[in-house]
Amino acid sequence: MTDSAAELLDIASEAPEALAECFAARGWGDGLPLVAPTPERVEAMLAGCEGDPDETLATLPPRSGVATRRIVAVNAVLAGCRPEHLPVLVAAVRALARPEVNLRGVNATTHPVAPLLIVHGEAARRAGYNAGLGAFGPGNLANAATGRALRLVVLHVAGAAPGAGDASTQGGPAKYAYCTAENLDESPWGGYAASVGVTAPSAVTIHCGEAPHNVHDMESSAPGPILDKAASAMASLGSNNAPISGGEFFVMLCPEHAAACAAAGWTRGHVASYLHERARMRVGDLRAAFALRAWAPWQEALPDDTMMSLTEHPDNIKVMVVGGPGKHSSVIPSWGMTRSVTVPVEP
Amino acid sequence: MKVYAPDGAVGPPAVSLASPLSVLAGKRIAILDNSKPNAGLLLGALAERLATRTGSTVSAVERKNGALPAPDDMLARLAEAEVILTGSAD
Repeated sequence: MTDSAAELLDIASEAPEALAECFAARGWGDGLPLVAPTPERVEAMLAGCEGDPDETLATLPPRSGVATRRIVAVNAVLAGCRPEHLPVLVAAVRALARPEVNLRGVNATTHPVAPLLIVHGEAARRAGYNAGLGAFGPGNLANAATGRALRLVVLHVAGAAPGAGDASTQGGPAKYAYCTAENLDESPWGGYAASVGVTAPSAVTIHCGEAPHNVHDMESSAPGPILDKAASAMASLGSNNAPISGGEFFVMLCPEHAAACAAAGWTRGHVASYLHERARMRVGDLRAAFALRAWAPWQEALPDDTMMSLTEHPDNIKVMVVGGPGKHSSVIPSWGMTRSVTVPVEP
Repeated sequence: MKVYAPDGAVGPPAVSLASPLSVLAGKRIAILDNSKPNAGLLLGALAERLATRTGSTVSAVERKNGALPAPDDMLARLAEAEVILTGSAD
């Protein structure tokens, strides 16, 4: 369709199978059962946020699909969201469209990259996002439905259906629903959003990366040995951070690992600097592995025996607290040609 | 039952493709290598063959990052040619 109004379709019955058949015929959906986006449900969803329902929030590539609050609400209904999740989803869509995210590249690449949505602050508490035990899922409606809704927006509005709009060689589970929340209550360093200059009560971050890589340390009480394991997970030839030096890492520390760092007097910046120092590989090995590299000129000039960090600058290592009791943290490598974005959540 | 379509409107197309040239004799062929494996080899061989067969010349070879748009100064140099060969996947 080319007009600005949302299109209404007639389907044969209210049975879930009828909706599934209608959507499958048009190449829509993520393969899972959907909630029918009736006008009544979409209106109820729109009550969850302020603003003109038909205002253009973003135009998403490769389809150049126009995302309005109404269209975002349609996808929120499909995914099973509640109205209180809509402001988070709207903010996430705005973030996705920022040029530095490079959504066209994220959708076009053969890499399994998926946009991770992280919810910060009041919105996470108010709308029931899980930042604690099992924060990457499953089991929590807000995380699951909002993450799924964002993927449905990418599939439907951005047009990133596998094949036509998403060239990912193997796809990936993070492409179904990839949403978590920052555990502000357990963070010894305050909120992540404020640390990158977003001081609104609620915010979201979009980071286009891989699924989480586990970092397990149940032996150590000092930061060094814990973070050495994180550095080991970062220093991999298999991720795009190896040939693309400007890529970011998101390091999601569990509360116990974060507390161990804080107890030793380490700030968020100390953690990032230590990881930058320790997540290194020999330049000659990296050169041997990658003929095609996107490194800074000064890195290209390094001798083969130099140990080089897997990312160009400590600021590319983003640290926050996620999860509940236990000794498992995670590292989320980047696709590479993308930058994370943190934006406020509007009412 | 009525339901909303989930895809919404399509924004205006950014650009349209140029019409193909019917005669290449005397024209300049440029290459935009997108850094994908063997893209430069493939496009270079293709350009040389085209030039030999049609009486055109290979006037410029540019190489860009595979995941980002070509920068403006590179596009300006490429625009001096009448034909640009580009596009290669993994």
